[in-house]
Amino acid sequence: MGAPVVRVQGVSKTYYRDQTPVPVLEGIDLEVAEGEFVALMGPSGSGKSTLLNLIAGIDRASSGRVEVAGSELSQLSERALADFRSRHIGFIFQLYNLIPVLTAFENVELPLLLTPLSSSARKAHVMTALEVVGLADRKDHTPRQLSGGQEQRVAIARAVVTDPTLLLADEPTGDLDKKSEEEILVLLKRLNTEFRKAIVMVTHDPRAASCAARTVMLEKGALVSKA
Amino acid sequence: MKFLPLIWRNALRNRLRTTLTLAGIAFLLFVLIFVMTGLSEIQAWEGVAATHLRVVVQHSEGLMADVPIELENFLKGDVIAAHAEHVCKFNWFGGYYQDPKNWPPEFAVDHKEMRALFDELKFSDEAYRKYCETKTGALVGISLMKKYNWKVGQRIALIGTFYPVNLELDIVGVFTTQNPRQEEQMFFRWDYLDELLENRKIVSTYWMKARSDEDIPRLKELIDAHTKNSSAPTETITEKEFAAQFMQMMGNIKAIVAGVGALVLLIMIMMTANTMAMAARERVTEVAVMRTLGFTAGRILWIIVAESVLVSMLGAAIAIGGSLLVFNVVKVSPHPIYFPVFLVEARTVVVALLAALLCGLLSSAVPAVRAARRKISDGLRQVV
Repeated sequence: MGAPVVRVQGVSKTYYRDQTPVPVLEGIDLEVAEGEFVALMGPSGSGKSTLLNLIAGIDRASSGRVEVAGSELSQLSERALADFRSRHIGFIFQLYNLIPVLTAFENVELPLLLTPLSSSARKAHVMTALEVVGLADRKDHTPRQLSGGQEQRVAIARAVVTDPTLLLADEPTGDLDKKSEEEILVLLKRLNTEFRKAIVMVTHDPRAASCAARTVMLEKGALVSKA
Repeated sequence: MKFLPLIWRNALRNRLRTTLTLAGIAFLLFVLIFVMTGLSEIQAWEGVAATHLRVVVQHSEGLMADVPIELENFLKGDVIAAHAEHVCKFNWFGGYYQDPKNWPPEFAVDHKEMRALFDELKFSDEAYRKYCETKTGALVGISLMKKYNWKVGQRIALIGTFYPVNLELDIVGVFTTQNPRQEEQMFFRWDYLDELLENRKIVSTYWMKARSDEDIPRLKELIDAHTKNSSAPTETITEKEFAAQFMQMMGNIKAIVAGVGALVLLIMIMMTANTMAMAARERVTEVAVMRTLGFTAGRILWIIVAESVLVSMLGAAIAIGGSLLVFNVVKVSPHPIYFPVFLVEARTVVVALLAALLCGLLSSAVPAVRAARRKISDGLRQVV
């Protein structure tokens, strides 16, 4: 394994509901090495998605340090965090979250619009990403014209098109049938082994977790075991 | 520009809603353009009138009363001649051509004085010679000729409504001028009208040209003092003041236009704001996803505002295109007597565009700021 891509040290996160503090994570320590595939498991409300959001830089820790790809996220401004996400994070959602009015091509192209790439360079990147997920022939289809599994593959293409340092997947197979789930897991595994992408995947499903090299268990906001 | 497809698709996401919003904006801007064009048409006469040295003598009670023809001797006498020249009778005939909807502005004038008095009208010496030789002769503006497809040499009949006579005029010449509104007018001979009226010597107004700006106050003083204790006291005013009194007859047009303009803008903003608020609410998760991808809050704000401005501008394009077609190409006039010409001006188009831009910016400000400020994690949790 290479150097850590993710280094979480003593991280706590507390939400406030009507001024009542609700602790979600407490004293979390976690490291993810370059090229590593980690599954994050735990019951609902254990703080898995919150931890994923902290690593993605879309939420801030109440205390502790979150370092990703060499950047200490608490030190970054909102603008710098946005720039960090566009360069280092590829996020895969449970409900795919494609933009319904855009085609598969345009959805995948979306993060590239933030780069200085030319139109032809963007096109080349998008087509490569769509070929990796096996959907180059569906590039002109809108999300409504795709199956759930295909939508998730487009979402994965969108996540990898900028060649990010880290892929974060929040229950990526949670809304899929068995066959599609299998396809997505194979694809994630391939991205990890063939393209050496570090992946942190939140899942409830032990079968999905078995694709990962390591499984981390969270319970009531604390890490209870590291397999 | 690379975000334009996204902005365009978002704008057309709910086609019925966007169409209704567009139609609403287009209608409201059409109303604004219509009202502003009415105002600019009235002001246009004032503007043109201000460039000439013409002075009008009318009855002190206004245009509904006549001026006695005996006054002409005084106006052409040495006292007034020192300050003015080209004294000319001037009556508005108020007749229609073929259909009561067709009201070309026709004026009966002294043929010998009109050329010098209205020296901005350009017509040939030959046309003027025929006009002077032919009692039924008429000089017609080029736009009016085109409007009714008239030809030089043609005889036309005008049905009187204000005077109980009908005119049969021979078009002897065509005039042009720099002001398109004047090219919608026609002039015929006052002595022909008088003949039809059995020599009743009815004069609505006397017009003359002051020798200089400084002569105008003196003219007012001399003429009105001369008629003060007569049975027909006069009011001597400049052509600009003469034009302005028509505006006053219609009430405080400027206040009405300002009120309509403000109301139009307010309704447009509320309507578009409602559309944008609904659109932003439906896209809470999408905005959170875009921010997860690296879009900054500022860029999200810009995209939402641009969408609103796009919709407003499309509405403006429809309204401007429609009004230009109706008023400038087909030349429809809402009231042929008050507005023989009703042309949408460039500045009106600019105001409509600015109103649409302002509407786009203001209506999207709150939804855009709220969307941009919402925490990403909250947006991702939202179920719409």
